[in-house]
Amino acid sequence: MTPGWLRALLVLLGIAALFAVPRLTGNEYVLALGVSFATFSVLSGGLNLVYGYTGLLSFAQVGFFGIGGYTAALLVTEGGWPLWAGAASGGMLAALVGLVIGYSSLRLSRHAFAIVSLSFAFLCMIVARDWVSLTRGAMGIPGLPVPVLDLPGLPWRLSRPADFYYLLMGFAVIAQAVIYVVVTSRLGRAMQAVKLNEALAQSQGIDPLRYKLLALALSALLAGIVGGFFVFYLTIVDPSIFDFYYTETMLIMVIIWGPGSFWGVLGASAVLAALPDLLRFTTDLRMVLYGAVLIAAMLVFPGGVGGWLRRRHLRRWRRPSLAAP
Amino acid sequence: MTATRALLEVRGLTKRYLGVTAVDDVAFEVEAGAVVGLIGPNGSGKSTIVDCLSGFQPADEGRWLLDGHELTGRPGHLIARAGLTRTFQTVRAYDELTLLDNLRVAAQESDGVGWLQALGRGARLRAAEAASAARGRDLLATVGLAEYAAAPAAILSYGQRKLLAIAAAMMARPKLVVLDEPVAGVNPTMIRRVEQVIHQLNAEGVTLVIVEHNVDFIMSLCRRVIVLVAGRKIADGPPSLIRSDPRVLAAYLGPARAAELGHGHP
Amino acid sequence: MDAGFYLQLLLNGMVIGVIYALVAMGLSLIFGVLEIVNFAHGEFYMLGAMLAYFLTMNMGLGYWPTVGVVTAVAVGLGYVLYEALLASLQGGGFERSILLTLGLSMVLQNGAVFLFTTTPRMVQTPQSYTNIVVGDLRVTLMRVFALALGLLAFAALYLILYRTRVGKAMRGVAQNRDAALMVGIDPRAVSRLAVAIGIGLSGLAGAALAPVYAVHPLMGFSFVFKAFAIIIIGGLGNIAGAAVAAVALGMLESVIGGFLPLVMVDALVFSSMIAMLLVRPQGLFGSGVRV
Repeated sequence: MTPGWLRALLVLLGIAALFAVPRLTGNEYVLALGVSFATFSVLSGGLNLVYGYTGLLSFAQVGFFGIGGYTAALLVTEGGWPLWAGAASGGMLAALVGLVIGYSSLRLSRHAFAIVSLSFAFLCMIVARDWVSLTRGAMGIPGLPVPVLDLPGLPWRLSRPADFYYLLMGFAVIAQAVIYVVVTSRLGRAMQAVKLNEALAQSQGIDPLRYKLLALALSALLAGIVGGFFVFYLTIVDPSIFDFYYTETMLIMVIIWGPGSFWGVLGASAVLAALPDLLRFTTDLRMVLYGAVLIAAMLVFPGGVGGWLRRRHLRRWRRPSLAAP
Repeated sequence: MTATRALLEVRGLTKRYLGVTAVDDVAFEVEAGAVVGLIGPNGSGKSTIVDCLSGFQPADEGRWLLDGHELTGRPGHLIARAGLTRTFQTVRAYDELTLLDNLRVAAQESDGVGWLQALGRGARLRAAEAASAARGRDLLATVGLAEYAAAPAAILSYGQRKLLAIAAAMMARPKLVVLDEPVAGVNPTMIRRVEQVIHQLNAEGVTLVIVEHNVDFIMSLCRRVIVLVAGRKIADGPPSLIRSDPRVLAAYLGPARAAELGHGHP
Repeated sequence: MDAGFYLQLLLNGMVIGVIYALVAMGLSLIFGVLEIVNFAHGEFYMLGAMLAYFLTMNMGLGYWPTVGVVTAVAVGLGYVLYEALLASLQGGGFERSILLTLGLSMVLQNGAVFLFTTTPRMVQTPQSYTNIVVGDLRVTLMRVFALALGLLAFAALYLILYRTRVGKAMRGVAQNRDAALMVGIDPRAVSRLAVAIGIGLSGLAGAALAPVYAVHPLMGFSFVFKAFAIIIIGGLGNIAGAAVAAVALGMLESVIGGFLPLVMVDALVFSSMIAMLLVRPQGLFGSGVRV
């Protein structure tokens, strides 16, 4: 294990490198990849928190993402709110919704929660398409205006792609920092306990519901905020923000290295955000590939590549002296 | 017999499943510092009692109090925080965590560190974490697993997992620990180790209730034994009394064992 | 708004309800026997419809032979699905099965889109335009056939589940797996058959509806969500409950759809499902399996 200070230094260098990219290249394609990576890292990081650490399979992330997007778009265009307030409100509304569906269905079972989260995501899509008076229906809200981020003393007009790169990458760094602090704290330990053996955790005074709701609400908050920013990057919000494509992609990002691995999921987000475009697959083929990966993972590598490595690592502990005395 | 209130009071505990009464109006008291055994044939309701008292299954009737505090109907995690911990028949551990982390998790809800403090690096948190790590190492030493402190729990043998579970149940300094079949399926050497551990923990002031099938183990370890048959308590007293109680012998031990016990086998 | 209009709506609703029931019952059977939520269930419905289109339009096969072939292929696919993917999952945890079948659904759905594009196709035969008229009611022949198929399938399923030994074994496993194992029932054989029947029903439903609605690779996607809602409302693992809930839903959709935009009905369905889970988790008719 590399020493703590070295890892911290590497992380800082990595962040600095990420922020240097727009200065090194004005290539919009590269910047778009960066935005995609930043956005997906927040989504998959939140899903990792809920599924990887707390063991709760949830399909609701995309619902929170879209709720954040629509809320921010409406507040900014209709209410004239500044972008940061719109996005923050989107995040908070998403967190509230998350708490409601979580509280009501988690008391039942994981099965119930998985199915409810799935239907919630689907329901969001239907509502966005059909509640025309609120969401403008299938056409969505196009032509979102160039947002202005009113930083103290420095109004920032996000008019160039590089601006959105900085915004989303900056938020992604903050989001990952928050997630990191939580998972390395005793709260994260409690979440893992709930995932690994819920009954045992209960017998040790841990309230599983509380930690599941915490993970869910936090992931919803982050997804909602990044959704609020993302739709302004797209300059449009429409029902496609709830597309299953996002869910499928985040799932692959969480599963491929292994649910519960902070750096593994972050790394997978980077690779998977860039790779498909580099391989020039059409979306359909990409989804076929993801599906195949998912099947293979479930059959052969349930713990992901990282899980498989960890199991091999375990062998160094298996010594003859360990036979039961 | 002193006039002090018992640590655990159970009154009228009843649990029914689909028409069968698994636990039928069971009542007993446990004095602080005691080691009480709970035996009975299969289906006598022992494990159900454990589940009800620890909040893992709802009881249909009855009340139980720990040190005067009402625990009836409360959920498992709150009962644990109130000072009543338990182990499980199907030995439970966090396989992917190290032994030390297994123990640290067991202590963290009871050391008074709040959520906000948990996220920081403050002195309160660091002190609590250091204390639980120290206590964890002590307990691992007590159960003889100290050398595996940094190993994942997955590598432990069945008997070692049972020892770990006992250590974990002790981490939060409970008032009373209920052990659910601590020596089932365990070889004789390990049984002796568990016995030693229990003696040591009891000497440090922990009250224990031990549910077991292994009658020999209970008879030699416990100063008091409660016998359960078909959900009802049929006997409650020191081992010598239980050994010769005709109802117990008839209902549970059977004629061959009864004869054996009558000849003073331990 | 006369009685004739209502009756027309009810009749149409019954047809689609019966078909919903076929899909939902298959899903319920698989869940009851294997405790697996088959995410890819809708794709077999879609494949059934696409194969029916191909057989009818490209190979000129008649209606009934087409249905027969599609059903047989679907049952076969069910066997393959079980042996290749699901058999190794037994007892592997709920999440694994959802994710595995989700992966399968991704492969099938997007593969179909890649191969056939999303353009909807219509099965058009001379029979497509035949109507049966009874008084004020006018029903297309295809709908009548679909209804007949559905009822035949109900009857067959009933016979299998209640009159054959293996059917009784399936019900036994669904109600109490441990007891069934103790009695000596072979879980693999029962599971294999349950999956084969479940997928077969799905494919049959696709073939039945292919001449009625448009056929396209995404048709299974929304269908499966509805099937989830149906089996939860009817009671997880309760096959008869699923059937009743499905037919009721079909009729409700049709009747309400006659007055409101159909789209609001979708939202209503899912909200009802969530409400049902919160208020009465065992469904309207109680579940064979705990939720």
